[in-house]
Amino acid sequence: MNTPLVSIVSICWNRKTDIMESLKRIREIDYPNLEIIVVDNASTDGTPEMIAAEFPDVRLIKMYKNIGIEAYNIGFHNARGEYIVILDDDSFPQRDAIRRMVDKFERDPQLGVVAFDVRNFYDYDDVKNDAFEGTGQALGETAATAENYLLAFNGAGAGVRRDLLEEVGFYPDEFFLYWNEQDTAFRILDRGYTIKFFADVVSYHKYSPTNRSSWRAPFYYTRNAFWLIWKNYPLEMAIPLTVSLIRECFYFSMEQKTMIYLKAMVNAFVYMGCLKGKRKPVSMEIAKNLRIPFNVSFTFYR
Amino acid sequence: MKELLIIRSVSFQQLDKNLAAIAKAYPDHRISILTHEHGVMLAQKYRQVNDIYVYPYKEGFKLKNKVPVLKDKTFDVVIVPVTNITGAGFFNVLLFSLGLKASKRVLCNVRSEFKEVRRFSVLCLGLKNLAISVLSSVSTAVLAVFVIPFLPFKLRNLEKKGEL
Repeated sequence: MNTPLVSIVSICWNRKTDIMESLKRIREIDYPNLEIIVVDNASTDGTPEMIAAEFPDVRLIKMYKNIGIEAYNIGFHNARGEYIVILDDDSFPQRDAIRRMVDKFERDPQLGVVAFDVRNFYDYDDVKNDAFEGTGQALGETAATAENYLLAFNGAGAGVRRDLLEEVGFYPDEFFLYWNEQDTAFRILDRGYTIKFFADVVSYHKYSPTNRSSWRAPFYYTRNAFWLIWKNYPLEMAIPLTVSLIRECFYFSMEQKTMIYLKAMVNAFVYMGCLKGKRKPVSMEIAKNLRIPFNVSFTFYR
Repeated sequence: MKELLIIRSVSFQQLDKNLAAIAKAYPDHRISILTHEHGVMLAQKYRQVNDIYVYPYKEGFKLKNKVPVLKDKTFDVVIVPVTNITGAGFFNVLLFSLGLKASKRVLCNVRSEFKEVRRFSVLCLGLKNLAISVLSSVSTAVLAVFVIPFLPFKLRNLEKKGEL
């Protein structure tokens, strides 16, 4: 099997214990040609010092302040691998995942993203059927696809062709947090590439919604939902989707007795100028078929 | 053996956590999952799950979206997992669950705590949400008068030059 260089890119911010465990697990990955890049978003808990001392093989890039997901773009820019694996600071690929990912890319030149099956670090091994994951190839077709719609990917585990990621312009830095994968997915699909989840390419994630502070997730998910619409949807869909999202902001504000969705909506309109030059509507086929569960924005608050 | 259906209204990451708790809380039940089409391959990886049913729609769970394969099925328990503590934002899934033949409907929150939800309380919640729905539609209509006429112009103004 061909083993091209693969760059693993992760960012971190004050999660010393999590990133330490992830990096230890990444060391156990069964793939001979790996480059590991961690971009630290100005952690103050000793994370960069720990990485420098305990993981000298990791390329550590330090930011002077927390710049959110833009830090990924710094990592992507510095990556030299043919393929980039995107991780969270509290996620890591299963031992065989990178080898399987490369195999899938090498077999299908139109495959733009290998979306990992992201599973719960704490519980997955207790509920999974060991026989199913097996050796991967023994399973035959492992793509988890749908006949009538397209999927984006999860930033806690995804492989992407580096040249394609450069072509589509990396993550939308103006988003700061959340829906960035979906925005990138629109542009990747618009270039004629596919995005597929694979059941035998697994990533473990320390899934814990208590890690999400109470206002950040609902605020950024809601604001960025407007921006996702305005950047990517053709006008004939963008207008009704905007109206529908405005209505949902009112509805869920009343249902959950919070102003956070209305604040996020106002913020989206007030700062929509930062999208100047970034709107590029995709084809109607992609706009209609890419599954974006906008209602997710309204499910984190309580 | 009693029959239990999980409506997969949350990510697999959360379901990994909830499933262990569900199997423990309902040991004498045969577990099945209802999921969107792309979730079938991923749900097959669970040891405790017997049958996987496909929700044949792209959008989220809605009462109007019927699942033909479940038309003649009866369940002792239907579980609705939610990503938060209270279930806020998941009324559509609860409402959808009313369209299934089930003796009990149970909310399973992010901490894997269970709470039975009776048909009557879903309907009462529905009435309250109907009032909220009317109010939010009126608020949207008022705002739309000021926003929508300008939005097409604003969006065109945001477009990337030279690539369209």
